[in-house]
Amino acid sequence: MRKAEIVVAFFFVAIGIIAIVDAVRLSFGWGPSGPESGFFPFYLGLGTLICSAVVLTKGFKEFKKEGSGKRLIPEGGLKPILWVLVPSAGMVVLTEFVGLHIAAAIFLVFYMRAVGKIRWVTVILVSILLPASLFVVFDKLFLIPLPTGMWGSKLIPF
Amino acid sequence: MVENLHQLLAGISIAIQPGNFLIALIGLVLGVIVGVLPGLGGANGVAILIPLTVTMRPVPGIILLSSIYWGALYGGSITSILFNIPGEPWSVATTFDGYPLAKKGKAGKALVMAFLSHGVGAVFGIIMLSFFAPIIAEFALKFGPAEIFSVMMLTFSAFVGLGGKSPSKTLVSIFFGFILAAVGMDIVTGQLRMTFGSVDLMGGFNFIVAVIGLFGLGEIFLTVEEGLKMEGISAKVTLKDIAEGSRALVVHWKTVVMGALVGCWMGLKPGGATPASFMAYGFAKQAAKNKDEFGQGASAGIIAPEAAAHAAGTSATLPMITLGIPGSPTMAVIMGGLMIFGLLPGPMLFKEHADFVWGLIGSCWVGNFIGLFIVLAFTPLFAAVLKIRFAILMPAIVYVCAIGAYAVNNRMIDIYYMIIFGVLGYAFKKLDYPLAPMVLALVLGDMAEAAMRQALIMGHGSPLIFFKPPIALPIMIAAIIIFFMPTISQLLKKKQSSVGAG
Repeated sequence: MRKAEIVVAFFFVAIGIIAIVDAVRLSFGWGPSGPESGFFPFYLGLGTLICSAVVLTKGFKEFKKEGSGKRLIPEGGLKPILWVLVPSAGMVVLTEFVGLHIAAAIFLVFYMRAVGKIRWVTVILVSILLPASLFVVFDKLFLIPLPTGMWGSKLIPF
Repeated sequence: MVENLHQLLAGISIAIQPGNFLIALIGLVLGVIVGVLPGLGGANGVAILIPLTVTMRPVPGIILLSSIYWGALYGGSITSILFNIPGEPWSVATTFDGYPLAKKGKAGKALVMAFLSHGVGAVFGIIMLSFFAPIIAEFALKFGPAEIFSVMMLTFSAFVGLGGKSPSKTLVSIFFGFILAAVGMDIVTGQLRMTFGSVDLMGGFNFIVAVIGLFGLGEIFLTVEEGLKMEGISAKVTLKDIAEGSRALVVHWKTVVMGALVGCWMGLKPGGATPASFMAYGFAKQAAKNKDEFGQGASAGIIAPEAAAHAAGTSATLPMITLGIPGSPTMAVIMGGLMIFGLLPGPMLFKEHADFVWGLIGSCWVGNFIGLFIVLAFTPLFAAVLKIRFAILMPAIVYVCAIGAYAVNNRMIDIYYMIIFGVLGYAFKKLDYPLAPMVLALVLGDMAEAAMRQALIMGHGSPLIFFKPPIALPIMIAAIIIFFMPTISQLLKKKQSSVGAG
């Protein structure tokens, strides 16, 4: 837990530094039309830097005193998370090629079969009916075109 | 006052027009489902459906969004009573007594009491909304940029002082939200900020995408990590349950009123619903004659937090429509919906779009009442949603979240952001960085910056403008006091204990 605490605090320190550097580039003083572009971000960055430094030193102190403490992700917790995260990310990447609905159908089949061990009948019904109904609602009824990817429009020629 | 009553009636008549009524029904059913499912809260449900409302006119659109919210408020109690899993953070307090009572075979009674308390809480909240909103809006018309900025300061200092989390982490959350909001083009000078030459970053970060990632995916990661087991108590709500539940409500009428009032008061502050439910539970326990009953299925232990949560959820509408400052992530998302309709929440909304505002308030009345009947009649059906295997629900939720994230701006990059925000949301939740102030900062970022710049220009660069009497000064003083509240109370405690020791 404490290691993760320190890593996340470093992440915020970096964000603060980025904001300040960018604000300095834009200049953060008083221009002809009032405060310049970097004015607000400069103080935001400064604030982030100070507060995350406080979190960081606290984290380091506790780390030295009491060791790393509890794990951020409990034993056996990481696997199910990766089982969600990796296929979800895979779905997004796949969307670039075949469009969201088809990618989601593949994702549904994969997760239901590989993780849920659900009967094939249910798997096939859900992964056809759900994308089909969402396609009708969004793309057809409400005319919100969802991403089709490179080949999606050819794969669903409606 | 009479004029307001008149407008309220006009608003209710807008809300019960057949088309709007139907939309409210759909919204409520969706909302209850969203509230029942852990990992798909009110903020998320509204965020995902915002793209659908773009094609609607403003009044039906806002009715849909707010109905989802009311539905989610009701739905949270079903999960907490029948499954001992809080569907929403504000129903945690309900699990203390709701689940034990349901285990004793009184699930129906527990649900009825929860729903009726919600109804009463809603009435208190809406009465306050109906009568105070016009007054506050009238007053807020006098606000200039300095005053608006000071109200925002008050909002964020409430998160630091009253949020109960580490002040430095809360501040980091707020600053991070504001920094994300600043990415992209500066509206005043047209310069690009923190884009580093990337075209994708030029569009900035949309807070709806952030909400879907932080609250939707983040919540799913938390759920799978804990290895969620759904062992529910099946329940039917019979007429006898309704009779018993209503009788209990009459017996405990003081608890109901207390809970509702606590809720109304806490709801005005940001992030109020959850602390309100815990406070009301604590008060009810203190006031009870038989304290041992609490935790074993005490009626008052269900009534108080539920009434408070719903009253708080309703009264949170007040600062949003009168000042343009949302008190909770869900309200922030609803406000984002208003902005998509081209309506800027704030005092001018009452002047320029009175019919819209009163339509919204009218739909609060109508939506909460139909919601009550829907949950009373169809609870078994909603509980059945939770019987669906998680391996089916989870990918479906991720899919719907991706649709919502994409459809906000029709940008592919937003789906990637959603996944990143999901991972961030998980890490922040685990390390106790509060998410609500971050979302609020992301929503209010541009407005806060514009207000601050205008105020500074008016004050010729002097920050003293933020302390200008008569309006900005007291608000700023209140903000500073609330900000240092934890420190002050600690000092007082030390003093007391040292006096006691001496």
